Amino acid sequence: MRTKWAVLAGGAVLTAAAPVWAHHAFAAEFDSTKPVKLRGKVTKVELINPHSWIHMDVVGPDGKVTNWMVEGGSPNALIRRGFTKDALPVGAEIVADGYQAKDGSARANGRDITFPDGRKIFVGGSNPDEQPNYQGK
Amino acid sequence: MSPLVIPLFVAPLLAQYHAPRTPDGKPDLQGVWTNVTITPLERPADLSDKAFFTLQEAAQYEKNFLDQTNADRRDGGAQADVNRAYNNFWYDRGTKVVASLRTSLIVDPPDGKVPPLTPEAQMRQAGRLAAAREHPFDGPESRALTERCLVWPTAGPPMLPSFYNNNYQIIQAPGYVMILVEMIHDVRIIPTDGRPHLPANVRQWFGDSRGRWEGDTLVVETTNFTGKSPFRGSDENMKLIEKFTRTGPDTIKYEFTVDDPTAFTRPWSAEIPMNRIPGPIIEYACHEGNYAMTGMLAGAREEESRQAAQRK
Repeated sequence: MRTKWAVLAGGAVLTAAAPVWAHHAFAAEFDSTKPVKLRGKVTKVELINPHSWIHMDVVGPDGKVTNWMVEGGSPNALIRRGFTKDALPVGAEIVADGYQAKDGSARANGRDITFPDGRKIFVGGSNPDEQPNYQGK
Repeated sequence: MSPLVIPLFVAPLLAQYHAPRTPDGKPDLQGVWTNVTITPLERPADLSDKAFFTLQEAAQYEKNFLDQTNADRRDGGAQADVNRAYNNFWYDRGTKVVASLRTSLIVDPPDGKVPPLTPEAQMRQAGRLAAAREHPFDGPESRALTERCLVWPTAGPPMLPSFYNNNYQIIQAPGYVMILVEMIHDVRIIPTDGRPHLPANVRQWFGDSRGRWEGDTLVVETTNFTGKSPFRGSDENMKLIEKFTRTGPDTIKYEFTVDDPTAFTRPWSAEIPMNRIPGPIIEYACHEGNYAMTGMLAGAREEESRQAAQRK
């Protein structure tokens, strides 16, 4: 019986994988051959639907400052968890790791957004037990 | 007390839950609710002979699911990495299976699967896919209805959990029940005063819903669909029956049956618990900041110029 469940659980690893998809085709917007790692200061946080955008000033190797837009998810879940614009104030230094827009503009998806010391800025989803939403029972 | 005895006590108690009443004497379904769960609509293929998990299996499934869907993983290569979009914190897809421990939300047919489409529905589906493939990025009109913020396949009717925005607000007034759906933020106003459906030639994207009370259960029948936003392959002939029954102070049992003989080879039914959460629901003004639409189209134009340059 134990063996049978081990097999079952092994298979379920595959079938449990819900499609990883966002509101739109990220692969259509961002270029998987153009990974970027942006370090800079937040200039604006747009908690808008369907996707949030974090704007940041990034100083290039030549000293030139470029304002980048970094795409995140829908803000509704964050707001329910108590996240506000104040949690990521203008001027905060962050690191955004993602992929640049296909059209070459200064936009990227925020695969990982952290503080420079590696701490995650948003931790609600990383620790489901902290979510106030009732979880399905 | 042996474990066998407990369900025998509990089951009749649950069945006897008496819903509180609205001022006009109807069962009170009002509040903010979520249907979030990681139990899939259809039973996974490798569980084909298993309608219910044991507690231990459920815990294992939950762990596997969370590992697999964790968008913070960076182990899939660049393409998968882009498709994972952004950190896991933005997702809200739940962490638990339903309390019944069913392995699918579908309760009928017994195999837990959406029944096969009829041959004509299969052809329709194939035609739609082919058309979408032909001109995927010509303009906003060629993009998916979801990306255009028009409809969401799980926002209903019928209402199913998705990976975020699984929240609903129900408000009642004499002769009406209103359901606000967070995803795409549409509102369904359901008359319960016995009026007939709209004439058959009037078609609506969300159909035409009429409610009635059967004991403590709200029964909603929806017809007059357009066929433009197919639900798992449904068409304009879909007749949808939804049932809402309070099962406790903080729970609603939500059931639906899809009957569409021109699309499915048999009717099928699902059951999903709804649990009370603190409100309010924040407006999901989807198109307001839909920068992604211009981003995707700009990406497509860039691809085209690259290809044109290569041809030269």
